[in-house]
Amino acid sequence: MSVLDQVCHSVEAHDNFVEQQVARARSETPFRDQILERWQAVRAGIGTVATPTGLKLPRLALPQTDEPGEITRYLYGEGLPGEFPFLNAAYPEMYLEPGELTEKTEPKSRLANRQSEEPTRLFAGLGLAEDTNRRFHYLTRQQNSIRLSTAFDGPTLYGLDSDSDGVFGKIGEGGVAIDTIDDMERLYAGFPLGDEHFSVSMTINGPAPIILAMYVAAAQRRFGPGVVPKLRGTVQADVLKEVQAQNEIIFPIDASLRFLTDMAEFTVTRLPRWYPISISGYHIAEAGATPVQQAAYTLANGFTYIQLFRERGLDVNQFGPRLSFFLDCGLDIEYVALARVCRKLWAIGLRDVFGADARAQLFKLHTQTSGRSLIAHEFKNNLTRTAAELMLAYINATNSCHSNSADEPFTTPSEENVRLAAQAQAILLEESGLFRFLMNTLGGSPGMKIVEQAVQEGVLSEFREIDRLGGVLAAIEHRYQRSQIQASAHRYEQQINDGTRPIIGLNRYRDANAKAPAVKVVRTPRRKKQLQIERLERFKRQHRSEAGRALDDLAQVVRQGGNVFAQLIKTVERCSLGQITARLHELVGHYRPTI
Amino acid sequence: MKSRIELHPARNPSLSRGKTKPAALLTTPQAPRLPIRLLTAVPICDGHDSAINTINLEFIRQGIEVIYLGYHRSAGDIVRAAVQEDVRAIGLSSYNGGHVEFFAEVLNLLKKYGARDIGVFGGGGGTITPADARAMEKNGVDRIFFPGTPLTEMVTFVKKSYGAPRSIRVPRASRTTTLTDRHLAQLLTAVEMKAHCPKLSSQRSVKPSRVIGITGPGGAGKTTLIDELVLRFLGAAPRARVAILSHDPSLVGHGALLGDRATMIYSQNDRVFMRSVATRGQSGGLSPATEPSLDVLKYCGFDLVLVETVGIGQEALPFGRELVDRTILVMSPDYGSRLQLQKIVMLDVADILVLNKSDLAAAKTAAAEIEQRLALNQRGQKLICTAAKRHRDPGVDALFQWLQP
Repeated sequence: MSVLDQVCHSVEAHDNFVEQQVARARSETPFRDQILERWQAVRAGIGTVATPTGLKLPRLALPQTDEPGEITRYLYGEGLPGEFPFLNAAYPEMYLEPGELTEKTEPKSRLANRQSEEPTRLFAGLGLAEDTNRRFHYLTRQQNSIRLSTAFDGPTLYGLDSDSDGVFGKIGEGGVAIDTIDDMERLYAGFPLGDEHFSVSMTINGPAPIILAMYVAAAQRRFGPGVVPKLRGTVQADVLKEVQAQNEIIFPIDASLRFLTDMAEFTVTRLPRWYPISISGYHIAEAGATPVQQAAYTLANGFTYIQLFRERGLDVNQFGPRLSFFLDCGLDIEYVALARVCRKLWAIGLRDVFGADARAQLFKLHTQTSGRSLIAHEFKNNLTRTAAELMLAYINATNSCHSNSADEPFTTPSEENVRLAAQAQAILLEESGLFRFLMNTLGGSPGMKIVEQAVQEGVLSEFREIDRLGGVLAAIEHRYQRSQIQASAHRYEQQINDGTRPIIGLNRYRDANAKAPAVKVVRTPRRKKQLQIERLERFKRQHRSEAGRALDDLAQVVRQGGNVFAQLIKTVERCSLGQITARLHELVGHYRPTI
Repeated sequence: MKSRIELHPARNPSLSRGKTKPAALLTTPQAPRLPIRLLTAVPICDGHDSAINTINLEFIRQGIEVIYLGYHRSAGDIVRAAVQEDVRAIGLSSYNGGHVEFFAEVLNLLKKYGARDIGVFGGGGGTITPADARAMEKNGVDRIFFPGTPLTEMVTFVKKSYGAPRSIRVPRASRTTTLTDRHLAQLLTAVEMKAHCPKLSSQRSVKPSRVIGITGPGGAGKTTLIDELVLRFLGAAPRARVAILSHDPSLVGHGALLGDRATMIYSQNDRVFMRSVATRGQSGGLSPATEPSLDVLKYCGFDLVLVETVGIGQEALPFGRELVDRTILVMSPDYGSRLQLQKIVMLDVADILVLNKSDLAAAKTAAAEIEQRLALNQRGQKLICTAAKRHRDPGVDALFQWLQP
């Protein structure tokens, strides 16, 4: 029985178990009394908050019932926030501003476990390292904590140097150009990399180990070797979803997974606060998957990584808490409950199939609003789309969130639109009363529960299909995920074409006179692209005599089966990204695309 | 005619040598009307293939033959492929910036190949602004489509802009002719139009190229295997050239998606001439154009010509008697039962049987069963087990050695 099949059985077993407990609570007096006693304690432990209009509300809304069966179904089937199976939330407390709780009647441990940092993350990257650095400093002026999220340009994402053939136009477009450790140093200049209130996220996959090695090496340059265990952040590094959807994998799958596992092995012990992978459904959804497909493929990929890391001998209780997730949130109704279902299935899989402890069971989620839902026509409608998606994301208790800018269909967002996107989150969380007072105002509504069940059924049925094909890696060989995603994408386009999927301003209520938006487009000027190449050439000249040797050392580690990531931290001192990927390609080959 | 001619594609196909004799002018009305052939791709450092996949399907449905090159493709790869395939136009779907430079590079390269009659159109995300589009169209791009354009509008544009009968100049084969990729590609088009039969074999005294036919059921890994063989071939002989004639099925009443190039890594090379052919209604694995195309390719100075069939059924014998010098049947271990094996006719005639995906659990049994089946034939057929998807697979090395003349 493969892992996915085991997960399906465990989920069914869990759902049956809950129903058995419900029956017990209704028929066995001692159990009923125990449940009612616990329910009373839970209710008594909930703090009270006061609204600006003078209402006093409980921080957590519980079902208004005294019926032991229903109470049991809630406690066992949903779990309180921060309790198995985590339908409500991964943590006991979310989105709370300090000092807002008026009566701290809840147990201390609960507060200690709450998610205390701001959930807003904004993805940025443009031009050269110093341009993005400036944008980071601009963005964090609006944030209390420093949480940088980095977008890289096309050549970097594909492991190419800026002086590669035919990539000139792509330098610094859509993200920052990083060729060398020197660029990496410039990118985060002025930020306290080892500070506990600082974290950085890097959205890169194929060359992720090389880029993270540059980050570690650059941090060491500035702060000495002592900084390494203190580094906090995330690197996306999810190569499976690249094969299935986003197409930014550069090495063959087996080699990619080996480099990833090397990196995870290193960070789990040496950078204990680092997330070496962000298991991502975002790109799967953006490539056209339905929400159910997004959830199913993402979770299935996650279980596959767990298997791989365990095969390497890593302890699931050690690396489990260092896995994080990244999902898309669009406007389809499934998003009312998608993240809730993911938290549940992940926790059950981790507990019952992999024997992981409570910390490793948490599905820690970063959400981004849907880029695909944004439309260039009458683009200001995108503000509304993003706002609605943000609401869905927070109703699903996401742990952090990025809101897209309205102008993203045509350009790297302008500062004005970035600011609007960031403030949309502040309006929702701070200005509106939706999440400030009751943390789960709309949680567990009948409609949400119905969607939740439908989504769970859909996801489990996808698991069974992948299992029939022999698991995630075998299904990839059959191009299963790709063709399913493509079929969904095709249907989506057809629905827009024939109008069955209304897109306001595009295929419905279209203003025939609407002019194309006059938006200031952010582009990287030619002289900057030239400057990047000059810097790269200078770096290569400086290290000309040592680069070959450094690459040979790396090659030896690759051949002898050592930890490639550990070696890369040394290699990046002498070699550029493109030099390193070129040598690795010689050793392990190229990824062969499937269509 | 018994003139001795040298019919080499140019060693540097990025430039046409311009030493051709006056060309014959051919127009399609005299010949069967061929489907429109387009090449589509996503530019370098861009993996956004969702839109182009949908557009490809629509083009095919409308009778267009689409050679799909895939994503993250350089301008050089795109133009080389467009020239070799002799398409009417290139369609590019660009999502993450740099489009102004990229399209300009494509146009420049087309000019260098002497192939500016190949149209260029494109579109993509809103990253292409109206101002960009105006500049690109001024620079020679036929049309930029914006997000939200109905698929029917694109199809209409393609049919109107690239569907007219065309005239092509076919270089006369003569002693001094040096065939560029461009000329060879046009010669193949002329041959497909049945308008021109150069009879190169009679004009040439040198030995024709070795031709190897590669066939097998769909999904066995033929394309991957060919790409891996090409990698070894290019590495082993630094000046050698190889031609690939690759077949994909036409859909009944529709066009065809010719997608083999998209999964090839090493065959995107100036020393490789590849032509994708749709079956256009012919059953059995090849196309009406196969034989005349091979007649041309064999006498153009290639050291090796590889012919890949479409995925074949049990009863197919695609190569007939004299089409190729050697035949390879590629199979994967999942052919079903031993009884199914008995029914595969190609097993009787293939010179080499490649059992690909030999990393699969069923491969050992399959190899034993196939060995037995071949032993019955008593023809000295060779069985080689490969896992072509593996980098530097020793099985593919062995096959390559076996294929050496």
